[in-house]
Amino acid sequence: MQPRVTAILVARNGAKHLERTLKALSLQTRKPDIVITVDCGSSDATAKMLAAFGPTQFIAADADLNFGQAITAAVRVTTPPTHDRELLWLLAQDSAPEPNALEALLDALEIAPSVAVAGPKVMEWIAGEYIHDFGESMTPSGTTVTLVESELDQGQHDGLSDVLAVGAGGMLVRHTVWEQLGGFDPALPTVDDSLDFCVRVRLAGYRVSVVPAARVASAGDGVAGPNQSSRGRLRRRRVRAERSAQLHRRLVYAPAGALVFHWLSLLPLAFVRSIGQLLRKEPGAIVGEFSAAFGAAFNGMRVGNARRSLAKTRTLGWDAISTLRVPSAEVRRRHSLKREASLFGLHGERSEIRFFSGGGAWTMLAAAVVGVIMMVPLLGADTLTGGGLLPLSPSLPDLWANVGYGWRDLGLGFVGAADPFAAVVAVLGSIAFWSPSFALVLVYALAFPLAAVGAWMAATRLTDRGSLRALAAALWVLAPTFLIALADGRPAAIMVHLLLPWLFFAWFAAARTWSASASAALLFAAVVACAPSLAPALLLVWALSVALAGRRVMRFVGIPLPAFALALPLIVDQGLRGSWLNLVADPGLPVPSGQAPTLQLLLGLPGTDGWAAVLDRFGASGLDPQLFVPLLLAPLAALALLALLLPGARLASGAWLVALLGFGTALAANQLVLASIGAEPVRVWTGSGLSLYWLGLVGALVIGLRSLHRFASTPGVVAALALAVVVLPLVASLHLGTAAVREGTGQTQPAFVAAEAQIDPRVGTLQLVPQADGGLLATIERGVGATLNQQSTLDSTDQTLSAREKALAKLAGNLASRSGLDTSADLAEFGIRFIVLQPAGASVDAADTALRTETALDGNAALAPVGDTEFGRLWQFGETDAAASTPIPARAGGAFGFVTLLMALAVVGSAVLLSLPIGAGREAVRQANRDAIRRAARANAKQKPKRARRVKVVSDLDADLEVPLGTDLEADLAIDRETGVGTGLESDDGFDDAADPVEDDNAR
Amino acid sequence: MPDKSQLARIGGRAGRGVLGLVGIAVVIATLGAATLVTLPTLERDPQSSEIEPLPSEQQRVCPGPLLTLAEDSTQAQAASSVGAASAVYGAVSGSSLEQIRPQVTEITAVDDSNSRQPPLLLTVPVQEGSVLPPLVAGSQSQVAATDTIGGLAVAACAEAVSDSWIVGGSTDIGRTSLLLLSNPTTVLATVNVTVSGESGLVDAPGATGILVQPGEQRVISLAGLAPNVKSPVLHVQSRGGQVAASLEQSSIRGIEPGGVEIVGTTAIPATNQIIAGVRVMTAVSEGTETTGEGFNADTPSVRVFVPGSVAATVQIGVTSADGTAEGTSTQVEVEPGIATEIPLAPLVVGSYSVQLRSDEPIVAAARTATDSAGGKDFGWFSASAPLEGSFAVAVAAGPSPTLHLRNSGAADASLTLTPSAGTPIDLEVDAGASATVPLANGAVYVVSGGSELWALVDYSGDGVLSSFALNPPGPLASSIRVYTH
Repeated sequence: MQPRVTAILVARNGAKHLERTLKALSLQTRKPDIVITVDCGSSDATAKMLAAFGPTQFIAADADLNFGQAITAAVRVTTPPTHDRELLWLLAQDSAPEPNALEALLDALEIAPSVAVAGPKVMEWIAGEYIHDFGESMTPSGTTVTLVESELDQGQHDGLSDVLAVGAGGMLVRHTVWEQLGGFDPALPTVDDSLDFCVRVRLAGYRVSVVPAARVASAGDGVAGPNQSSRGRLRRRRVRAERSAQLHRRLVYAPAGALVFHWLSLLPLAFVRSIGQLLRKEPGAIVGEFSAAFGAAFNGMRVGNARRSLAKTRTLGWDAISTLRVPSAEVRRRHSLKREASLFGLHGERSEIRFFSGGGAWTMLAAAVVGVIMMVPLLGADTLTGGGLLPLSPSLPDLWANVGYGWRDLGLGFVGAADPFAAVVAVLGSIAFWSPSFALVLVYALAFPLAAVGAWMAATRLTDRGSLRALAAALWVLAPTFLIALADGRPAAIMVHLLLPWLFFAWFAAARTWSASASAALLFAAVVACAPSLAPALLLVWALSVALAGRRVMRFVGIPLPAFALALPLIVDQGLRGSWLNLVADPGLPVPSGQAPTLQLLLGLPGTDGWAAVLDRFGASGLDPQLFVPLLLAPLAALALLALLLPGARLASGAWLVALLGFGTALAANQLVLASIGAEPVRVWTGSGLSLYWLGLVGALVIGLRSLHRFASTPGVVAALALAVVVLPLVASLHLGTAAVREGTGQTQPAFVAAEAQIDPRVGTLQLVPQADGGLLATIERGVGATLNQQSTLDSTDQTLSAREKALAKLAGNLASRSGLDTSADLAEFGIRFIVLQPAGASVDAADTALRTETALDGNAALAPVGDTEFGRLWQFGETDAAASTPIPARAGGAFGFVTLLMALAVVGSAVLLSLPIGAGREAVRQANRDAIRRAARANAKQKPKRARRVKVVSDLDADLEVPLGTDLEADLAIDRETGVGTGLESDDGFDDAADPVEDDNAR
Repeated sequence: MPDKSQLARIGGRAGRGVLGLVGIAVVIATLGAATLVTLPTLERDPQSSEIEPLPSEQQRVCPGPLLTLAEDSTQAQAASSVGAASAVYGAVSGSSLEQIRPQVTEITAVDDSNSRQPPLLLTVPVQEGSVLPPLVAGSQSQVAATDTIGGLAVAACAEAVSDSWIVGGSTDIGRTSLLLLSNPTTVLATVNVTVSGESGLVDAPGATGILVQPGEQRVISLAGLAPNVKSPVLHVQSRGGQVAASLEQSSIRGIEPGGVEIVGTTAIPATNQIIAGVRVMTAVSEGTETTGEGFNADTPSVRVFVPGSVAATVQIGVTSADGTAEGTSTQVEVEPGIATEIPLAPLVVGSYSVQLRSDEPIVAAARTATDSAGGKDFGWFSASAPLEGSFAVAVAAGPSPTLHLRNSGAADASLTLTPSAGTPIDLEVDAGASATVPLANGAVYVVSGGSELWALVDYSGDGVLSSFALNPPGPLASSIRVYTH
């Protein structure tokens, strides 16, 4: 009896590929005897084409049928098989067989009666010389392995015959075996359906074989086998389906005894794998990871059915197929080979930053020299003091205890949220773990080179020219706001200036890689923690990025998340107080500053430029700094404005938008007085906004000069030199003695108190500071004194007085007076052992208050004067009562503190994992390979003489080929070539967002 | 002829240029608008508590009897008291104005070799439940008529303070000045005295670290610290306990006594100093020499001192206390660190109030003299601090005690002087005006109804002249603003 072949063609919305498939089917040298076409509810011309082909049977089925179910539906209309030479040929809309395919497959089955399934060599649809996939197998642990994929076919695999499994598309199977095994497992809709079937075929005692001579092209439409698209959503769906299939098969194949352990391991594994997915820069896969785990865990019926049907047909043991499995080591070896090839391709195309050869190192060195010149008076300092500088907690546990919601050991202490800045300080302090306070010295010592490197790196995003990068670094280092922040001792503002260029650096690449996106998120959190006043401007830039990001919106959406998670407790606290505006108050020790005139802000100066004092000092009164400072800064502004007229104006306008946002922030900050220290109101620092303003200005200037090509050097040097002249008094501020920062002793309390604090770390010291209005600031410091990480904006912006504060005020007021109050009891109750009266400032009223207080304390019989110290006059309270020293309440944060801490840990931890620059995962490498092949083929097919930029050409060919987005690797490949970012090509991309490259990808 | 693509390129460039210009215009307009617009500000005021200290007991120290040096030639530097001073004192409750009897104890005058009558310490405890400190007043007077000392000396019983200024005294030939330091507190006081004279700061090694034990009075001869200084100005600072300081000055003209005075503390440095009353007993005419050789030390004059380092321009306004004579006004440049005597001329006999306005903080006191058949005497009139609210005046015995009041507040004051025995006196003092009220010997008055008054009591008679100024309780008991964060 002659073999009878029933070809079953399944199609769903496949008109695009169907034409070629149908034509190929009709050109077969051995024509199938029966052709059954199944249309799964297509909405396009598929049904018409299928009917017009003239099949033996045409079945119109529902859209929700998967491949296996569609085949089953088609098999149902055939006559039951009477002998084993009746064969089923499974085809999908995108399975275009070569003319001799069926003949070759049929021969394989005819020759060997033990072979029940024969599979063709599946080739790429367009790049026909590449193998799409050829034979499948499993590792010993059950992971699916495609034996050959994405390789140029040079006949190197033609010796392959017996395999564990073959792909579903183009598979020829004996009808009797199909019936015996009941077809594909309905629990495996797309992924691993044929693998599972073939495994069962093998276990039922038959063989599975590949036929190299039979070649079928496949476009990866997702009808037979998973959709091969790299588009985000489809890709995530495929990854989830693969994991679901793997878990399902694991539960089906497992021995009954091990079933419980497998079941229990589902969720823990999902957690562990999620971390892996973050490291592999696949955050989108996490949802799939969990849904697959839950799906496998709570669909017992499907696993049970599959286990029963396997048991029914199984005649051989699992040992029978063990030789056909691929060892895990072999899989790893293959992956690393492929990955190497991919990375090689990557580096071949990507422009390098060239830090050393491009002059970055020299720029850093020059900045370091200028920094040393400015910091000469601080050389050799172990700690710094003055302005907003305070020591950090002496040990790492203390440092980190000040992060999150809980007990704030500031003054009287209260339960509340720490500023996110405390987390930044904790990270800084952990870098100098041997002596956390030294971190601030490091920041000062490295401020200049770090700022230079940051600006230099940021400039690499805009220009390829080393000289322009160096110019950007010089302009950034000499920014007046930076120098004033250094002189005033504002650690948060210094950090903002150091971090902003890196934020831009990461943000610019955020569209391209998850790693950059997560880095941008972390930097965003750090910048906003250091300067909450920048949050509105940065959020606006973020909203613009999201709006313009198009398909890559997910890479931008998450950028404010870590900042939000860190600030959440504070937001809640300030929200409960009903004072949202207080959220923008500067963290750290409040440092008062005067209101700056708007014109001064316009020049980028948050404080005075120092020229008036210098000219006064050297007696040169003829010059007016109000006149020559704007004149000297004019070239800089002119060049930045010029950029709007030159090529690259779109990018420059983005830069100017950032500059205007920064200026607006500074302007608004100038009007806000939210915090206070004693009688002195503390204005929000305008310098952070001006740092952003300066970032935009320098960016625009670099963009402008970039377009001037060889004429760029003179105006650039002129602008930089003029700026250098303007900031001379600021650079010299430490030498002139106009700077607040100076070398510290590492203490904020008299040595006598510090020694006592060694014995009793909670010893209380009442600090009395005479105020300029004649008032008195009374605060309690515990142990060795105030630290930077203790400071809280909740305290500095508090507009209410608690009962304890009122009691303290009463005590202090009476201590500073000739009073009839018995102060001993109150002093003991507050745990105060020492009283320090700090020297008064220049104010007459403060001097009067100081005198009065000193007189009263001197006359207080309960107090013993210790003497004058460098921190003021010290008295000791005689009664030593150890029980009075108030301990820190345990677990003050409660459940809210714990939950918010966990949330912050999860969000920040995820961002850190995601930002680690570890290479792409296995799946990404596979995808990159596939996409690279397609792209190459497409480029060959098109042979366009000129690339039409910014024109969307959507041909049939293009439309079905997915834009290769979604993984870090191939996205890098794609974008670097397309946009010329970092390669010196003119780029019209958006400034802060890489939205346009997305369009460009389509334009190819 | 350019083809289409060239046209398109030119058009594109032009469009880009126009867009760029628009962009520049937008940037400049935005920045320009920002500089022109006045933005609203949001300022949160710092939170503070105004703390009224719990009232404590009030203490006043009377300087004690007049002292003289070298009565015993073997002890040239030792002082011994001459006669006894008679003191008048009283106290009323701050809230109910009820009479309270002060506790009177004695201060040990350790340097008085002839300790017959030690200085008095008046202590008034806080009344139960009272939120205001009691009003305490005390003064003493003594008429001396020995070979070396003659004249009237009155003094207020003063509160001990840690920082005080005395403008007065002299260690010129024939002048004797003794610094009296009393420590009524329970804590040892370490006193530093800084003496400045007409030629600047006087280097006085013995003037620092003077120990005054609790409950003791020390007497220090100013000549030992600063010899041959015509116009000393003393800055007395104490650490630990506080001291009540006063300066006894006496002079001898030839062989007859030239007068005696106990100079109390003057107001602390300020740009506005008011001497509520200055009595001129001898008219000073236009022709009186005010400088050079012919200058008579008894010419009414003001001693001004600038503690700072910048020269001060001082406007001295002299107005008649009762409005009978025209006021005069002079402007003087006073060098810093140098005690400067500025003569007040011309003046007719009468009582005046003197106001000194300066651009730098100054201290000041005035001196006048009398020379009549009854003898010679001089008096120092110190500047004082304003009295806010009610205050008490104790009138020690002496010839024609007169209360000088000066109202430098913004509002007119209707005052009531309630004596401890007798009928109250009602008095109107317009804003900026002065008034004089004769007082009864030995009485204690409570003056109520004022808001900002400067007050001084002087005594004058035939050949006698003296005064003491009235000062409010020290700032130590006043309310204070306390910030807690």
